[in-house]
Amino acid sequence: MDHPNPHQFLVAAYCVTWAIQLGYVAWLTFKWRAQKRAKG
Amino acid sequence: MKKIAIGLYVAVTLALMVWGYYQAIYVAPEDAQQGEIFRIIFYHVPSASVAFLFFAISLCGSIGYLAFRHGNQAWAQISDAWALAGAEVGVVFCTVVLTTGPLWGRVAWGIWWTWDARLTTTLVLWLIYVSYLLLRRFAAGPQMQTLAAVLGIFGALDVPIVYMSNRWWRTQHPSPVFGGGEGSGMAPAMVSVLMWNMLAWFVWGLFILGLRFVVERKQQKIVAAEQQLALDATI
Repeated sequence: MDHPNPHQFLVAAYCVTWAIQLGYVAWLTFKWRAQKRAKG
Repeated sequence: MKKIAIGLYVAVTLALMVWGYYQAIYVAPEDAQQGEIFRIIFYHVPSASVAFLFFAISLCGSIGYLAFRHGNQAWAQISDAWALAGAEVGVVFCTVVLTTGPLWGRVAWGIWWTWDARLTTTLVLWLIYVSYLLLRRFAAGPQMQTLAAVLGIFGALDVPIVYMSNRWWRTQHPSPVFGGGEGSGMAPAMVSVLMWNMLAWFVWGLFILGLRFVVERKQQKIVAAEQQLALDATI
């Protein structure tokens, strides 16, 4: 890791961003569906 | 009609995200000094801007809750839902900032992290709002909402400190790109790409903020109905 590959780090940054965002949306959707089931 | 409007909004959001990504990777010119890694800016800076905006929404919601809690319960609950939604989605965006930043720093500076003013105040901001969410998760009752509102207001005080940190102190983090005085600024070809990504992340952020608000309002109604049921059972 003395000479980091910029391309790999760029890909990692974009992937991490989307993993965090989509992970949160998935959790929110799960919570919303659980509410719908509880209401039903 | 409502479903069509939501579908249209989602379609526009997705189109903007794809366009922003295309601009960031294929259109923006490579930075003369940093090269390819500079493209992280197109996700890093918009995420920070959206996080600041949502913490400001959380601040307004917290103030609203404290203002309405004795007078108008309906408004107090709506304000509280905005406060929670702003804080939670703000933490999501702040997490993106705190993960993309070190990835960028490792290549640009040769280190993952340093305790300079910008990085430290951003970490403190994240910790304050994580503690806000933990308080809401593990405490209960109307007292919890009041305590959370006070914490939300104090947390928001860190936002201007984060913003001004690289103006007030000498930091490892670069000086402000916009409004940073002489020598600051960006190539016009990069500015337009940054603006597209800023717009895309704002639109995306507003979508999940709205979703979080709706989920919280439903939760409030479920809790109120359960409380009413318990009250009826005791009579």
